[in-house]
Amino acid sequence: MPARETVICIGCPLGCRVRLSLDKRGKVISLKGAECKKGEKFVLKEFENPVRIVTATVRTGSPSFPLLPVRTSRPVPKELIEEIMLATVTADAAAPVIAGDAIVRDVMKTGADLIATTDWPG
Amino acid sequence: MTDLDTEVLIIGAGVLGAATARELSRYKVDVTLLDKGVDVGWGITKANVGVVNQGRDTLEFRPEYHRSHLLWKSLSMMEPLCAELEVPFKRVGGWLMCWDLPQKEKLDKCIKRTESLGLGKDRFHWYPEVKEMEPHVTDRVLGGLFDPEISVVNPVFLTQALIENARANGVRLMLETEVLDIEPGHHEFTVRTDSGTIKARYVINAAGEHVDKVAAMVNADDFVLFPIKGYVGVLDRRCGGLVNSLVSAIEDELGTMNIVVPTVEGNVLFGIQLQINRRGDHSTTGQMARGALENARRLVPDISPADVINAFCGFLMFRNFEIGWHECEVGMSARVSRFINMTIGYPGVSASPGAAAEVVEVLEKDGLKLEPDPGFKPSRESIPDFSKLPGKEQRALIKKDPRYGHVVCRCETVTEGEIVEAIKRGAATLDGVKHRVRPGMGRCQGGFCGPRVTAIIARELGIPETEVTKKGNGSRNLNYRTKELLEREAGDA
Amino acid sequence: MPERVDVAVIGAGPAGLAAAVAARKQGAEKVLIIERAEKLGGLLPQCIHNGFGLFYFKEDMTGPEYEKAFVDMAADAGIDTALETMVIELGVDRRITAVNRQRGMMRFKPGAVVLAMGCRERARGALGIPGTRPAGILTAGTCQRYVNMDGYMPGSRYVILGSGDIGMIMARRLTLEGAEVAAVVEVMPWPGGLIRNEVQCLHDFGIPLLLEHTVSFIHGENAVEGVTVSRVDADRKPLPGSERYFPCDCLLLSVGLIPENELSIGAGVELDAVTGGPVVDQNRQTSAPGIFAGGNVVHVHDLVDWVSWESELAGRSAAAFADKSRLKRAEKVKVIPGRNVKYVVPQLISGKDDVTLYLRVERPGLGAVVKVGDAAKKRLRSVRPSEMINIDLEGRALKETGVSGELVVDCQTRGSD
Repeated sequence: MPARETVICIGCPLGCRVRLSLDKRGKVISLKGAECKKGEKFVLKEFENPVRIVTATVRTGSPSFPLLPVRTSRPVPKELIEEIMLATVTADAAAPVIAGDAIVRDVMKTGADLIATTDWPG
Repeated sequence: MTDLDTEVLIIGAGVLGAATARELSRYKVDVTLLDKGVDVGWGITKANVGVVNQGRDTLEFRPEYHRSHLLWKSLSMMEPLCAELEVPFKRVGGWLMCWDLPQKEKLDKCIKRTESLGLGKDRFHWYPEVKEMEPHVTDRVLGGLFDPEISVVNPVFLTQALIENARANGVRLMLETEVLDIEPGHHEFTVRTDSGTIKARYVINAAGEHVDKVAAMVNADDFVLFPIKGYVGVLDRRCGGLVNSLVSAIEDELGTMNIVVPTVEGNVLFGIQLQINRRGDHSTTGQMARGALENARRLVPDISPADVINAFCGFLMFRNFEIGWHECEVGMSARVSRFINMTIGYPGVSASPGAAAEVVEVLEKDGLKLEPDPGFKPSRESIPDFSKLPGKEQRALIKKDPRYGHVVCRCETVTEGEIVEAIKRGAATLDGVKHRVRPGMGRCQGGFCGPRVTAIIARELGIPETEVTKKGNGSRNLNYRTKELLEREAGDA
Repeated sequence: MPERVDVAVIGAGPAGLAAAVAARKQGAEKVLIIERAEKLGGLLPQCIHNGFGLFYFKEDMTGPEYEKAFVDMAADAGIDTALETMVIELGVDRRITAVNRQRGMMRFKPGAVVLAMGCRERARGALGIPGTRPAGILTAGTCQRYVNMDGYMPGSRYVILGSGDIGMIMARRLTLEGAEVAAVVEVMPWPGGLIRNEVQCLHDFGIPLLLEHTVSFIHGENAVEGVTVSRVDADRKPLPGSERYFPCDCLLLSVGLIPENELSIGAGVELDAVTGGPVVDQNRQTSAPGIFAGGNVVHVHDLVDWVSWESELAGRSAAAFADKSRLKRAEKVKVIPGRNVKYVVPQLISGKDDVTLYLRVERPGLGAVVKVGDAAKKRLRSVRPSEMINIDLEGRALKETGVSGELVVDCQTRGSD
């Protein structure tokens, strides 16, 4: 009996619950329940390498603008989200900042930067 | 060690304590008013629908009751008092409707009694006349008794105004001070509180929900209190036209008091499903809510559940309820000299001016020298209500203080100027500001203005926003700073 | 404030910014945005998450990024702004009464007005949740502002009532910021927000979503100590015996958004009882001549991209009205919601121009066919109340089918989701 996993596709409002059958090494043998090819592709990618854009804030020390919103410059592995959040605690921003400026470079060695998502002239 | 010496100590800054303090401030006498709460009028006074000038035509107000006399005495006092203190007062009139002929006979009895007491000439109106005055009332009523005296006030506003005026005339106010015990002495009481000891010649117990507990401290609790609670729903202002006056009906079922009543602010309140309560329980239940709405819609079918913007638990203490109906006591304790209990229950706000006058009489009779203070100022200015001022005055106000040009609460059109003034007059919490100048009272319930009012309170009081509470006693909306919880997690890791 | 105002836009959120820029591009010279808050952008600055602009900019942006794009456009277009300025009255004749610190009371009559006040969150009072009235009960949007902008966390353990998008997004945010979200409680049998939020905000973090449940009691005299959660029956009423107690120090509410139309009511604008917003024609003109409306003030949208497009239409129309004062309201055909359709916007069309209809269904379903009379038909694999549906109508097709009077929009489905 092969192992099974379910992944929900978020490509459209349908929200297909796609059932994956896996071999012993965890490789996908087959999948069932996706209504379209695009969805199948999404589900495979989501299963093998789930990634997310992480959005957060970092402290500025300014009472009038205490938090600067940031995000990862590209999607990062889902399992690193928690560690990236911890990195936002120690990071801090100094004015002036322009949207797109890197606040933390190569955060948690993901190759992604934490970049500002707004301007803060200070 | 004594921290304070005072001639008259009033325990409880509800409407009774406030009215008494203000009445005593006419004289050259040292008066201290204390309350364990962070603000004034937040006990039974706040948990109230704001109907005053009751007492003419309800069967329960029998001539042999002390309570009735206090109400009748207060009838001529409430309106001038509100005028002096610039407290909004509206004479809306009140209906007691009936559904059938046997009930009409009860109303006829009311009419006879009112006339025999010389309190006025009330009249029964048949349905068509009712409908003319109250077009939204159900077609099912037979008719009703109309009492033109019935009026509405905001009891918390009244209490605040009384205390502001009392303080301007020399009364000392101590908040967040809880009485721990009282020791009677030959000449004075020694009152131990959580913030020091007070020596007082007279003690007036107006502790509302806790009046029996305070009385028990000196063994003056020769009465039993029954906590009663009820559900009060608040309708959006756009329903302001649903009723012009207090609308109520004789009910077959005991324990229901079904009313629909406009407020001075233009909302409509409905309720009240009464039930015996556990002391200190200020919660509403789904059953009460459904019952209150159902009964209100029986009277005024156009009330829509979608227009209910808020609800609160009304509560009070009935005294000696076991005798069938509750009586009150405002007078010198039979057991302890110089100790005055004030237990009114329902309707305390209506009876407060008369009760305060009575306390002064009792004190004088007991030998307290009450020399009129020639410096007494009877009037008090209210906080400007920007939204209700004429354009010219609005412009003048903004010119004087630009903060009146900054509208913080959209739903109720409340300006920063009004909020700052409320804080100056003693509001130290979100509810304190809300119950003075109304931000957050409207349909969005503070969704937009909440963070802004919090910031203004923090700024004016010089405290961090995390220390701003809803109503004191650790009722914080903001318990941490962003990242604080993560920092802890990082520390643990 | 300029001497003459061609188009006045009330509200500087995504709707107001888009309307103002479009009005300016359409030729209106003096465009003024009036905003009650301290800065432009409405709620976008506090929406620090991504998922904005996927359609409008073909890019996955965060709220602040989406805001910046429009604020920059507004600056480039030379649009005037009045911040911390509250419009306290809008007259039937379009006369605006506004107030601020610097200039006090202002009264002026612009050539046209765009209503862009957005929406507000439904609060506790309207839900009638029994219990006490402690601190620690906030709407999800207010909490979002505290956590993402002001720098405060209301509590450390939350229950969230309502699975609207803001509620689910806050469930993720609070978890990321080190708090615990005990549960998201939803009274309906399906989630109130988008599927991507259900997956990425709840499933990603193992946050339980309790469908067909509600908060039936709030505990705590001063601060929230916990809530009772109950299963509901078919009438959405709590089922006795199903109670579960969740200790928490904060209850967040994400139980619906209400278009903010107090000013519209004052101006005599006719409102749609279902959307809660003005009844508009295909140009987004309301029943009051020269008063237009766009965005969440008209109906609550699921994605900001639609808000921008709709408001641009309102802005262009307002500019045309201000220029010629001749843009008449299209009133020939009334668009009526039919089977399983909750509402349709616009409610009025000319019956001869191309137009896009926006609608929401009442119940979810699979294999849906949306039919607009005989004029148009659209097949969808699935429909949900939380996702807006749009359908294009061609003027030619409308003319050919000879539509007049009423046009009914139906949504047939094969089965439930």
